Amino acid sequence: MATSALPRAAEAFVAKDFKSELKPIWCPGCGDFGVVQAIYRALAAIGRPPHEIAFVSGIGCSSRIPGYTTAYGFNTVHGRALPIAQGIKLASPELLVLVAGGDGDGFSIGGGHVAHAVRRNIDLTYIIMDNQIYGLTKGQLSPTSPRGLRTASSTYGSMEDPVNPLLYVLGYGARFVAQGTPADMGQLSKLIEEGIRFPGFAFINVQSPCVTYGEPETQLKAQKQRMETLESLGHDPSDRIKAMELAQHYGEKLHTGVFYRDPAPPPPYSHYVAERQGELRDDTLTREHILDVFLPRE
Amino acid sequence: MTSELTIGMAGSGGDGIVSAGDSLMTALALAGYHAMLTKSFGPQIRGGESSFRLRVSTRPVLSPGGTLDVAVALNWDDFLKFGGELPLDGHSVVIYDENTGVAPDKIPVTGVKPAEVVMVGIEAMAKNTVGSEKAKNTIVLGLMAGWFGLAPENIRAGLRKRFAKKGEEIVARNERAFEAGLAWAREHPLRHARTLGPAPEGASTKLVTDGNDLCAAGAIYAGCEFFGGYPITPSSEIMHFLNREIWKYGGTMLQCEDEIAGIGACVGASFAGKKALTATSGPGMSLKTEMLGLATIAELPLVVVNVQRGGPSTGIPTKSEQSDLFQAAFSAHGDAVRPVLAPINVADTFPITVEAFNIAEKYQTPVIILSDQEISQRKEAIDRPDTSSLRVERRRVPNQQELEHYVRFRITESGVSPISHPGMKGGNYLASGIEHTESGAPTASGLVHSKMNDKRLRKLGPLKSRADLFLTEGPAHASLALVAWGSISGLALEALQLSHRAGLDVKLLVPRLLYPVAEEVYREFFASVKRGLVVEQSHQGQLYRVIRMFVDMPAGVESFARSGSNPISPVELVERLRSQARELLANREPVSQAE
Ligand SMILES: Cc1ncc(C[n+]2csc(CCOP(=O)(O)OP(=O)(O)O)c2C)c(N)n1
Ligand code: SF4
Ligand SMILES: [Mg+2]
Repeated sequence: MATSALPRAAEAFVAKDFKSELKPIWCPGCGDFGVVQAIYRALAAIGRPPHEIAFVSGIGCSSRIPGYTTAYGFNTVHGRALPIAQGIKLASPELLVLVAGGDGDGFSIGGGHVAHAVRRNIDLTYIIMDNQIYGLTKGQLSPTSPRGLRTASSTYGSMEDPVNPLLYVLGYGARFVAQGTPADMGQLSKLIEEGIRFPGFAFINVQSPCVTYGEPETQLKAQKQRMETLESLGHDPSDRIKAMELAQHYGEKLHTGVFYRDPAPPPPYSHYVAERQGELRDDTLTREHILDVFLPRE
Repeated sequence: MTSELTIGMAGSGGDGIVSAGDSLMTALALAGYHAMLTKSFGPQIRGGESSFRLRVSTRPVLSPGGTLDVAVALNWDDFLKFGGELPLDGHSVVIYDENTGVAPDKIPVTGVKPAEVVMVGIEAMAKNTVGSEKAKNTIVLGLMAGWFGLAPENIRAGLRKRFAKKGEEIVARNERAFEAGLAWAREHPLRHARTLGPAPEGASTKLVTDGNDLCAAGAIYAGCEFFGGYPITPSSEIMHFLNREIWKYGGTMLQCEDEIAGIGACVGASFAGKKALTATSGPGMSLKTEMLGLATIAELPLVVVNVQRGGPSTGIPTKSEQSDLFQAAFSAHGDAVRPVLAPINVADTFPITVEAFNIAEKYQTPVIILSDQEISQRKEAIDRPDTSSLRVERRRVPNQQELEHYVRFRITESGVSPISHPGMKGGNYLASGIEHTESGAPTASGLVHSKMNDKRLRKLGPLKSRADLFLTEGPAHASLALVAWGSISGLALEALQLSHRAGLDVKLLVPRLLYPVAEEVYREFFASVKRGLVVEQSHQGQLYRVIRMFVDMPAGVESFARSGSNPISPVELVERLRSQARELLANREPVSQAE
C-alpha cells in the first residue's frame, strides 16, 4: 500500500522518542494523558522520525498535545487546525501530518472545516479528544454534550441535541472512522496507528474524559463498564451502512474499534496533485517566463 | 496627429462591446502603444449593457483619463447608463448607430455640445456585408482604424486569428465588415480629423495585463509555491491565474471552503517552508484577521492581497474604494505591526508583490498588499517589467551548527531568528499562537511576553527607512503638496503635471509602503510644505489619518477624500491647489521658488 506514513528509515523508534520535555498542564487524571501516550506508541510503531512529522492542533486543553511530542508541532487557533494541516500536507506531501483537538474545537467552531477535510481526502489523521465539555474555558456546554446537561453555561440544563461526530464524518463520506478510549490503551494506540497507515483522511474519536468538569459517566472507570468493542459484536468494518447504524448509538453506548474502513480506498488528494504537477510541470520555465503569458496575441 | 486618444463605447449585451475593446487593446499593444482599458457592466451577471473606455498614448498612460475624445453609442439607452464613466465635452466626436432613429442634432446628451456628431448605419452595414448584426463591433473597429489610424494591420491580423477556429467563411465575413467600416470612414472624413501619431521609433510590443493577473505573476516570479483562497469579487482572477499557472512551476493551489481556511492553508504551507499567497476582498479580509495574528506571533512569512472594493460589508463589490487601510493596519488584536504595501498602478503590482514576498520572508511576517478594484480589473498595455533590479529573498533557515542547539525564537539583535520547517532534522519546534519562550514553550510570563513583543516589533524597524518604497515627483522645496496612494496616484500624477503647466509650485508623494508609517520620509517631504492635499478614495480619509497618528503634518495639508464610485478628476485637484496657493499669497506666507 503506497502511503506516505510508511517508514522510510531503518531506525527503530520507541515511544519515548516522541515524548518532549514539556510538562503537560493537564489536570492529574485527565484522559488526554492517555491519548498522548497512545500517540507515542503509535508513532513508534510507524517508525517515522519526529522531524518528518507535523502535529497540528487548535485551542483547548486537548490542543496542547503537539507540544508534548518531539514532532514539529503547531498549536494554532481555535477551530482551525484542519485547514492549516491541509496546507502543510499539500506543501510537503512527504510529511506525516497528525491533527488533534477537542470536541468544541472540531465540531463547534471548526465544524465547517470537517466536511471539507473529509471530502478532499487529504492524507491526515484527525484525532478528536471528546470529553463532551469545554475544558479549557472551565466547563461550558460543548457540541457533544448530551441534552439536559447542566454546565456553567447551561445552569438549568441544555436544550439542544448533541452532534454525533461519528455519523457526521460518515455522512460526509469519511473512509476511516474509529472510536477509542484511554480506558483501553492497547486498542487506542492500534487505532491511531491504523489511522495513520490509512491512505487518506482518517478520523478517530477518542472518549477522553475531563476529570474536572466532566460527568461521572464519562470517566474512565465508568467507561470500562460500558465499553463494547465492535470486534466483539462481530462488526465488519467494510460495511458502511452497518457502521452508520452502529454509530447511531453514539452517546448511549460506547462502541470502540473501527466503524468503517474503506476496503478499497481511492488514492488520496496528494496523488492527484502529483499527477497534475507531473502533467503540467515544466522545468525549462524560469521565473522570467511567467511574464510571457501577457504578450499580446493577435 | 495626436499623441493620445480616449475612446468610449457602449451597447447592449450581444453587441460585443468588450471584445471590441480587447481587440483594439491587443492591436495597439502589438503596435507598441501604451494603453489603458476599463470595462464596465450593468448590474446583471450576464448579458446586460456593457461599455469600455480605452485611453491610448505614445507615452505611459497614468489614468483612465477624463472626457472622451471619441464616443461610440450602439444605442442611446445603454450609452446613457454609463454617463458618469463616459463623459463628453465640447471637443468630443460622437459616433452612433443610425438604427437608433435619432437625428444628429437631437442626440440625448445634455449639458454639452460635442465638436462633431456622426450618424453611421452601423447595423445596416453589418447586415449588408455579413448578413448579421453580430458584426456591428467589427464595423466599429473598421471605423476606428479609418478615422483615427488605430493600427489597422494589427486589427486585421487579430480578427483573422480570433475567428480562425470558426472557419474560413466567418473570417472572410469579419474581414469584409472591417474593410466596410474602414472604407466608410475614409469616404466620410471627420471635420476635425484626429489621427493617432505613430508609436515611438523602436517601441517594443507591450504586455497586456491587469492588476490581478500581474500580481499573481509577481507571486510566481517571487517563488510562491502555494495559493489558498476563496472566490470573491474583485480578487478571484488572482486565484484563476494561479490555478492555470502555478502547477507549471511545481506549486499547488486550493480553493478552500472559506477565507479562514484559505489563509489557514497558507499559514500551514508557510510553516512547511513554502512561500504562500492568499487573495481576497474586504469581507474575506474580515474573516482572515485571526490568522493574521497567528502568523504574526508564530513569525511565519505570508502574503495576503486585499483587492479593495466599496464597503462596509458587501458594500459595492464592483467598484473601487480605498477604505480598508485602517483594517489592514489595525485589525487583528494585540500589539503587532503588519507591513502594508499598495501598488500604484497595474505595472506596479508586479514589483510590489515581489517586494511583499521579500519583506514577508526576510522578516518572517504576514504582509498585506492593498490593491483596489480599479487596478485589479483594468487592462493596461505596459512595458515589460524591468526584472534586472528585482531581487528574490528567501527566509533565513538555520545552518548545521544552529540546528545542533536549535532555538526557534532566539532573540537576536535584528529580532529575526532563523526558521526551520518540518523535514529539517534538529529543527523540531512548537509553533504556536500562544505566547512562547525563545525555544517555543508556551508561557504566561509577562517578562517573556514583553521581550517577545519587542523582538517582533524590532525586526520590522528597518522598514521605516525604506524611502525607496515612496515615489516623489516635483520640486523638492515646493510649498504645495499632493499625497496619494493606490490607483488614485495616477490621477494625482496627472494633476501634478497640469499644475506645473499652470505655474503652481507643487510636489507629489506616493507611498507604496503604507504601514508602518515611515515617519522620516514624511517629515522630510513635508518640511517645505505649507498647503496640500492627501487624496484618496475613502470617506474618512484613512491615509491622512494614519499619517497623522505618527507625523505632525503642516496644518495647511487637508484631506481630499471621497467615497468609492465617485470619480475624482485631476482638474478639480488642480483647482483646489490653486486656491490653496491663493490662500498662501493672501496670508503672505512665503511661497518657495520652484526649482
Ligand atoms: C476564537 C476563539 N473563541 C473562543 C476561544 C476560547 N476557547 C478556548 S478553548 C475553547 C473550547 C475548548 O473546548 P474543547 O475544544 O472541547 O477542548 P477541551 O478544552 O475540552 O479539550 C474555547 C471556547 C478561543 N480561544 N478562540
Ligand atoms: S480541565 Fe478537563 S480537559 Fe482540561 S486538563 Fe483538566 S481534566 Fe483535562
Ligand atoms: Mg472538550
